[in-house]
Amino acid sequence: MSSGWLQARACSVIGAAHQRQGKPCQDAAISCSLPAGREQLQLMAVADGHGGSRYWLSQVGSSLACEQARQAVAQALQQTPLHATERWLQLLQHDLPAAIHSGWLQAIEADWQQRPEQEQPFSPLTYGCTLGLVLLAPRWWGCTGLGDWDLAAVEQGGAARLLSQESDPELAAGEATGSLCQSMDQQGWFTRAQLQHLHAGDPLQALVLSTDGVRKSCATDADYLQLCAGVAELNDLAELEQGLARITAEGSGDDVSLAIAVRGDGRPSHRPARRLGRLQVAAAGTAALLGLGGLLSWGLLRRQEDPIAAQAQQLCERPWQIQAMLNQRRSQFQAVLQTPNTAAQLHAQAGVDPLGALIAASRHNPVQGCDRLKLELDRQWQQARAAQEREAGRMPATAAPEPAPSPP
Amino acid sequence: MPFPNVRLSNRPLHFIYLCDCSGSMAAQGKMQALNQAIRQSLPGMAEVARENPEAKVLVRAVRFADQAAWHLAEPTPVQQLQWRDLEAGGITAMGAALELVASALQSPPMEERALPPVLVLISDGQPTDDFEAGLARLMQRPWAQKAVRLAIAMGHDADLEVLQQFIGPEPAGRGRSPRRPLQASNATTLAQYIQWASTAVVGAASMPASRVTPAGPMTDGNIPLPDLPPTLLDPIDDVGPLVW
Repeated sequence: MSSGWLQARACSVIGAAHQRQGKPCQDAAISCSLPAGREQLQLMAVADGHGGSRYWLSQVGSSLACEQARQAVAQALQQTPLHATERWLQLLQHDLPAAIHSGWLQAIEADWQQRPEQEQPFSPLTYGCTLGLVLLAPRWWGCTGLGDWDLAAVEQGGAARLLSQESDPELAAGEATGSLCQSMDQQGWFTRAQLQHLHAGDPLQALVLSTDGVRKSCATDADYLQLCAGVAELNDLAELEQGLARITAEGSGDDVSLAIAVRGDGRPSHRPARRLGRLQVAAAGTAALLGLGGLLSWGLLRRQEDPIAAQAQQLCERPWQIQAMLNQRRSQFQAVLQTPNTAAQLHAQAGVDPLGALIAASRHNPVQGCDRLKLELDRQWQQARAAQEREAGRMPATAAPEPAPSPP
Repeated sequence: MPFPNVRLSNRPLHFIYLCDCSGSMAAQGKMQALNQAIRQSLPGMAEVARENPEAKVLVRAVRFADQAAWHLAEPTPVQQLQWRDLEAGGITAMGAALELVASALQSPPMEERALPPVLVLISDGQPTDDFEAGLARLMQRPWAQKAVRLAIAMGHDADLEVLQQFIGPEPAGRGRSPRRPLQASNATTLAQYIQWASTAVVGAASMPASRVTPAGPMTDGNIPLPDLPPTLLDPIDDVGPLVW
């Protein structure tokens, strides 16, 4: 399977001001690959919770917004082939916004019903956040969203240019921005939606999606574009997180999120997992031809039947990527903790998002896999629980972690 | 490949006083009280700036009497500010003062990344020039539309209607609100309002939370304003006599 893009990366870092004030990170970011027939569609999204006291659950809102974006795109993929680009443009302009907004409203209301404050009237305002998402197909890319996120293109030679912003900063209404908590007719998705074909020799090298805290931390737009060009070449997610922490400390103090997609050369990737996949298909064909396919067929069948185990195996084959892969799913860890039915949804979509399903499965039971995966999953759950405790105004229970799950 | 080393910057917060220096300000110690109030507020403002390192608080001041002129022309970091006394004498060229501020609220010189500015208009009388034209010129500037606009009426001869126009639409209901002109009837109340504007308001403007774009005109301002301090107008407070 090929998406024409290397694995997209995304991360959010708490703002220096929020850290000082003991507030949670209200940004969320996600990147994932979704199967699209024999190809892949990658999704990257960033969401920025409004920081004011009226929007006191916006960190939940932003996390659920990313999750709803993933679910809506996965759903659309089941009905729309990637080559139907006119239809995908319509999806970006109308259908995805409607599905995401509707799903988000349901998700935040379900979250509200779990809270002690549920007796008070429910208001979407409490969860207000922005959302920007980018779809990366082998022969096109598209984006949509609402609010003050920015999207930049990095081209051959390292030149970067701004592709999408909320509006002219001179004309913008100060710190006000479009929000998922507004009614659909007030939201400006249509103006941010676009789909661009990638042709042979296209100079586009990378796309960089960011929440407003990144651009506002840079001294000028030229610095912001230089930053986009630079981060597109970064390989180490930990280094990206450290850099973002410096950006917020020396810049705006706001939470900062970046999602980065770098184009491959269109050829099949040489990364181990994909090579393994091709080998398996080739081996299965050969085995069937020889009538000796029992063991291999069992292996493939098992992989089809248990995408979670297959995902765990795939991660353990590349242990150096485990932390980075799970860091990109922080919003899913938090969503599982915050909204009980998220785990069931993720599990139901294991075929589409096996890593999400693995995360959901690891909530109460140990997953089969290497020690490094288990340790990293434990660490992520501890971080998610600590974030939830902070949000609830309690001290993180780091001294009293949950009991280790008992073996099955 | 290391993380790119680009120029980062905290966000400038421009705080501009527009001070009435007409002859009437010389009466009953008003000018002296205003100078004193601003001077005394500076340490508190500097402390708020220190607590919010993501904002760079820069102070300027316009004086208006027969004409309007910059009293403090350079945007000055509050930590370095030495307040020079204003002097009273002349009439009330308030419209010209608004035009002068309008000329400063354009990009450039305003920085792309600046926070919404804070404009504080302090007056004890009525404009003697074309206030409407000055206000119209000011409000053409997007930065002025985004700004936190406050007005302090010194004494009961101040033109509250004009000050309300400067702030924007009057909020619904009765009672005290920072969206209405603040009435200072004595030096103590004036000092409290100046202190409030230079600390609580600067603090709120220094770390603005993003918020939802309203469907209609923005009537509650761009920055959620903190509560007003207790004053003589509040019947449960007793902070000084009615002097002005």
